[in-house]
Amino acid sequence: MGHSRPTPKDALIHLREESAKRLSASERLVEQSFNQARLVTSLAVGLLLVGFLLVAQMRGQATFSGSLERQSDQNLAIIIQQLTAENNVLRTEVARLQMRLLEAGQATEDRTQLLSEAARELNSVSMMAGLEAAAGPGIVVTITDPERVLLPQDFVRVVHELRGGGAEAIAINAIRVTATSGFSGGGGRIELDGTTLARDYEVIALGNQNNLAQALELPGGLKTTLVTFPGVTVQVAAADELSVPAGSAVGYSIGSPVEDE
Amino acid sequence: MLVLALALALGVTLGLLTNVSVPVAALTYLGVAVLAAIDACLGGVKASLEETFDDKIFISGFLTNTLMAAFIVFVGDRIGVRELYLAAVVAFGLRVFENLGTVRRLLFSRWGWE
Repeated sequence: MGHSRPTPKDALIHLREESAKRLSASERLVEQSFNQARLVTSLAVGLLLVGFLLVAQMRGQATFSGSLERQSDQNLAIIIQQLTAENNVLRTEVARLQMRLLEAGQATEDRTQLLSEAARELNSVSMMAGLEAAAGPGIVVTITDPERVLLPQDFVRVVHELRGGGAEAIAINAIRVTATSGFSGGGGRIELDGTTLARDYEVIALGNQNNLAQALELPGGLKTTLVTFPGVTVQVAAADELSVPAGSAVGYSIGSPVEDE
Repeated sequence: MLVLALALALGVTLGLLTNVSVPVAALTYLGVAVLAAIDACLGGVKASLEETFDDKIFISGFLTNTLMAAFIVFVGDRIGVRELYLAAVVAFGLRVFENLGTVRRLLFSRWGWE
């Protein structure tokens, strides 16, 4: 009787077995795919690491091969030879350049020496010519002549005596006595280079104070002579801070210089 | 299989992009370690084909093999036997070829080429 139609109970049992079977199958499937995922993941991570390390290693190896440590003895010998040759060339270059530097320094020194010599010469020439104002120790000679008895040649003598005493620069009443200066005048007037000198002449001479004073005050010297004139007094005083003005330059206007040689 | 090839390619690209260079002093260590890592990966592939793969075994094997390989080189350096790294190279090289052969045979049997 039970064969023709399954009872509801049988159907239920069958259903239960079926679902249990399917459950275990799906559980197996889940486990399998989980295992598979773990397998693939770990292997993939391992291979990723391998790839990364491989590249890093290759790059390191490439730099290492390029370094000197990896060169063979023969190559090293060649490299040393090349470097030595290069060093020699550079050493020669250094020596050559040093020589040139030395030469250049010499030339500069020569030129500097020449220049300073020329400057010295110019200095002494312009000092002699009285083209520059000068200052320094010296003496002040004050001559008074209320009776106007002094003549131009007396002043020429004063200047000559001072020059004899080593005067480096002379000025009378703030007019510089230069190499071309001349005294003139008459009738009690004294002119220096065309300028009339005021009375109470003040002569300033730069130089060794003792020598200059001696040149004038020597017994029987110029001072003694001058003071014998009526009314004339001569006072000589040493001073440390004296200055004389610059004279004016005189060029050739009629004559012309002659170059020797 | 495709995922694994992609992972390897990704590792190589990553290495190229990051511009990492191993210092000269560490070259030998990492060289042997890389060999050990290749061996471990081939072993893993073999195990997965034999369906005996266990991720714990793979990861621990990967780490211990690489570290041990580097350590052997280090010890060789320290005790004055610089050639000790050759031992690691030979051992891992042999295993690499062994594993490669097994993987090849397993693949052939799986694809039915035998």
